[in-house]
Amino acid sequence: MQITPTPSISKNDLHQISTPSVLAHNRIFPVIEELAGLFRDGGIHQGSTVEVRGEAETTFAAALTIAVSQSSKWTAVVGLPGLSSQAVSHLGVDLSRWVFVDHPQDHAAEVVQALMGSVALILIGSNTKIRSDHGRKIAARMRSKGTSIITVGDARGYNLRPSFSLKILRASWSGIGHGNGRLTSRRLEVEAVHRGVTSNSHRRLFYLPDEQGQLSAIKQSFLQVDPVASRDVRKQGGLQHFDEDVPQAS
Amino acid sequence: MNSRALFLSIPRWQIISSGVDLNQVAVVVDKNLVIDATPRAIQCGIQLGIQRREAQRLCPSVEITEHDEESSVASFNALVVVLESITPRIEITVSGQCSFPTRGPSRYFGGDELLAGLVGERIAEALSATFGVDKNVATSQFRIGVADSYFAALIAASSNVESNIHIVETGGNADFLAPFSLHLLRLDSALAKSVELISVLQRLGIETLGDLVALPSEELLARFGKPGVLAQQLAQGVDFEKSSIETVSGVLMEEHEIDPPANRIDTVLFSAKSLADQICQDLYCTGTACRQILIEVESEHGELSSRFWRHEYRFTSADITDRVRWQLEGWYRSSAPPTGPLSLVRLVAEEVIRDDGYQLEFWGKQTSNDEQAIRSFTRVQEILGIDSVTVAQHGKGRRSGDIEQRVPLSSAGFIPDRQIALPEYTNAPWPGRLPAPLPVLVLGHAELLQVIDLEGCEVRVNGRGLLSGEPARLRSDSLGSHLIKAWSGPWLVDERWWDPIGKDRRARFQFLLENGAGYLCVLRGGSWWLEASYD
Repeated sequence: MQITPTPSISKNDLHQISTPSVLAHNRIFPVIEELAGLFRDGGIHQGSTVEVRGEAETTFAAALTIAVSQSSKWTAVVGLPGLSSQAVSHLGVDLSRWVFVDHPQDHAAEVVQALMGSVALILIGSNTKIRSDHGRKIAARMRSKGTSIITVGDARGYNLRPSFSLKILRASWSGIGHGNGRLTSRRLEVEAVHRGVTSNSHRRLFYLPDEQGQLSAIKQSFLQVDPVASRDVRKQGGLQHFDEDVPQAS
Repeated sequence: MNSRALFLSIPRWQIISSGVDLNQVAVVVDKNLVIDATPRAIQCGIQLGIQRREAQRLCPSVEITEHDEESSVASFNALVVVLESITPRIEITVSGQCSFPTRGPSRYFGGDELLAGLVGERIAEALSATFGVDKNVATSQFRIGVADSYFAALIAASSNVESNIHIVETGGNADFLAPFSLHLLRLDSALAKSVELISVLQRLGIETLGDLVALPSEELLARFGKPGVLAQQLAQGVDFEKSSIETVSGVLMEEHEIDPPANRIDTVLFSAKSLADQICQDLYCTGTACRQILIEVESEHGELSSRFWRHEYRFTSADITDRVRWQLEGWYRSSAPPTGPLSLVRLVAEEVIRDDGYQLEFWGKQTSNDEQAIRSFTRVQEILGIDSVTVAQHGKGRRSGDIEQRVPLSSAGFIPDRQIALPEYTNAPWPGRLPAPLPVLVLGHAELLQVIDLEGCEVRVNGRGLLSGEPARLRSDSLGSHLIKAWSGPWLVDERWWDPIGKDRRARFQFLLENGAGYLCVLRGGSWWLEASYD
């Protein structure tokens, strides 16, 4: 097979281009190493909808775009006027190819469709309203154009069907006391669910942000969903947490 | 073939076009950088290229005007109109600078001296009549250079001699250019970005343009490639584009009759857009690109606006449409606006060159991707308005609103791989700034809150920064009522206490609620506000 190098090659794309099958849905947008474990194929499928919900959803959704932003692809943020670009860049996102459409008003669906194909990722936030018939059109276009959508919050709220769902089950800050200290790091327990794949939900632990303000994954070879075990890990971490007596959200 | 050219430059043009008096202490800023300053501002130590803040530090009373490119180009158009009685072929490079070939007009008016004198006279008249520049100032408020090449004319105009008209004798180009510093090469648009080349040459001991000419050109080609040869040709006083890039075809022309004739600029632009697309498509098919274009618009009453536009690299269809808009806006604002609706728009691609294309970067830095993205952002701008698509820019300050800025893409322009300057979090101290990690959601409109202590009283902070009680519960319309599990603060910020209007005194708190959500709240003027969320 003859491979013509497209001008838009980045290091991350190279192995994808050299693999024979390049159907849009087989291609994958990279995520940073720490997050790769959440995804079955190590990244976000092109043309898929990823839903991030729960406490810390905004930060986590932004973290999903880090690797794409660094590979000089475009990310558009639609309907998230409050998103702090400074906080996001501290996470490691390269903002040179980020654009914001803060107030899509009643034209959110048109905006998203216009962006389709020319940006890699579209981050959709609460200021976006998409009608259900538009949602279906968008889904069809995403599949053909290879753009992926990350929704902040429940994807059904935007009339989109998530192909992959990340639910943050619990988030606990540390470093803050009663009048002393400050918010320094936050531990997240994230559950990943693939649509259409039964019993394929798994859970991971992260610090987002960790003490350096970045995302880091907590190694958990022995840890399953068992709450007792997860508490052990927390104690090993030696950090002060405040979620001991809070029932697990579900 | 070289062509003798006259180059006219108006120093302090941005100041003049923004309507500021030249005797004031004033600067014009664009994207927070000073791009032009009055002589008195320069005496205060303000240099071009410094930041707005820096200029304010050097001279607190300085008057600051925002740069408006469109109005600046349009008013320069109005100025150049007075030269049209001398020659029709005026090329505007950027606002404040234009040039034209002198062969015909010079013979007609009886020599370069007379021609340059005439141009100077007309410009000075126009400056004092149209822009209210003082008559005595106006006569020295322009610089004219005439030489055998465009570059030499540019240098002649900007070189520091007592007279503001500088004419280089025919054939004297190389001798004239020889003593000038190598830095001047950057004035030419083709070498504007070649800082590296010039720096290497200087480190090799080549200080002047004369030194550069003395080098064997094949060696220069071998060592520096095309830019090296281009630099040498410029230094010799040979116009690069005229000599080594031949004009490929004659003239490519597209015109469109507007039927019914239009009164609105938008309608004309719409036709111009499709013409521009067509021209660019035709050029693309023949592997060529256009760097100079003639735009003509006719009104129903037979009036004609005709102007050449030159692009430093090559025109895309969006560039052409922009030029049409500038020309039309200038025309309507000029002293002789069209009296009837516009009936015809014509685009003529004048200087057509081979399209050498971009060299795409091998790893990463792609441009085809960018072009496509920019196109789709243009589409979004069409749907929602020109300011709807924004990019991030970071300022300095303590409040989120000061640090965070969204700049419309249309005004920021797209520079691939632009650096977004982040305030350093690790090095320099900035008292009163928020500690990292920063809240990820900043609320556009701060929301009123109630924060009460264990006794149920509202929590207060006194003048010495002491709390009246421990915050125990937080209540707001959108969040509901929550127990505060942990908190931190107060972090006092007292900004501009010397300024009765702008002063701002606040105490910041971090609250961690029982549901795990972290918030940044502010106590200001006795009331609590929800400012940002660590979502």
